[in-house]
Amino acid sequence: MKINVSRQNIYLIVTSIILLAFVLLFSFLVLIPEGKNYREQRIELKKESTELKKYKNFHDETFETLKQLQGDNRHIIEALDAPFNPQRFEKIHKDFFSSLIISEPEQVSDEEEFYIYEVNTTSHINSPQSFYNFLEAVNKSDWIIGINFPINFKRDGDLIKSSFTMRVYNANKKKKTEEKKELNSNE
Amino acid sequence: MKYSYIKPRKKSIFTAELKITMTFFIMTLGMLFLTYTFLVYKDLRFSQERDEIIQKRFDFGVAIEDMKEQIVFIEKEALLSERIYTQNAVLKDSIANLFDLIPQRITLSEASLLENGLILFGITPSKDVYNFMLQAPLRSIFHKTYSSFYPQPNGWLKFVSTNYIEEESYETNISNSRNQEIKEENGDEN
Repeated sequence: MKINVSRQNIYLIVTSIILLAFVLLFSFLVLIPEGKNYREQRIELKKESTELKKYKNFHDETFETLKQLQGDNRHIIEALDAPFNPQRFEKIHKDFFSSLIISEPEQVSDEEEFYIYEVNTTSHINSPQSFYNFLEAVNKSDWIIGINFPINFKRDGDLIKSSFTMRVYNANKKKKTEEKKELNSNE
Repeated sequence: MKYSYIKPRKKSIFTAELKITMTFFIMTLGMLFLTYTFLVYKDLRFSQERDEIIQKRFDFGVAIEDMKEQIVFIEKEALLSERIYTQNAVLKDSIANLFDLIPQRITLSEASLLENGLILFGITPSKDVYNFMLQAPLRSIFHKTYSSFYPQPNGWLKFVSTNYIEEESYETNISNSRNQEIKEENGDEN
């Protein structure tokens, strides 16, 4: 029996076989590995996105805590940032004293991130009550001030001459930033 | 002369079968390449997105670290100021207590409050008044008390009273009073 296949049909069959082979090879060698890679990348990305979400949530929580702390301690933060101004201090607290003389602040030491300035004060008061009121007012002032020993009270006519030292605390953020920079550059 | 009854038609290489086959081939190859392009594009996007996520995560990490440092610093500031406010309050109470301690019959001319002691200058009508009314309470507070007297023309006595607390006890007293204050403050808040 003779099978009569035209030349055109032979071309068609050969081309179809080549196409089938190409499709199979392309699928197995390129598409399937690429698809696998795609799936892996998608899972990886999903994982990374979840991780990022956790980071973001933690970031938001920390930010919230920081804002809350900053809000609660606004007065303290501002007081520690404000440079001590003897004239302004004198103006604010002169009502408690008959006279008040303040020396220029002198940096005495560094306590971790805080500068400490010492100020000598000489004043005249009418009664110890004025001094108590002054101590109360110091805790509400624009600076963080600690009254330091020795404190002297001496009778001076009808008045009491008092002399004491005050320690003014100032946040040393500059030093902290420099330390941080230094640490980063070392790394 | 005519050889055929039909008109001769142009023969094309694109026969109907070939056109169908070509369409099928093109569609198949097109789908394959489209899928491949889609996968490659998605891979590229994924790696870009991953890089972005990693960068964002790093930025968040840096920001969190920075905020944590700020939080620690603010807490330190709050602690420091709390300590100073308490010190001032304790000092105020100490001075008030000192002046309350002085009896009316004794007049002070000078008082020096030291970190661990107290020096008083004043006049007293007699040694007994001083001993009973001032020295006794001073002795109950300070560990070492020294007194010197200088007679005055009017019969009264000038005195200098030097009183010291031993360092350890002084620190204990201060910390006790601070604790007491903090407890009181917490109690008030509650």
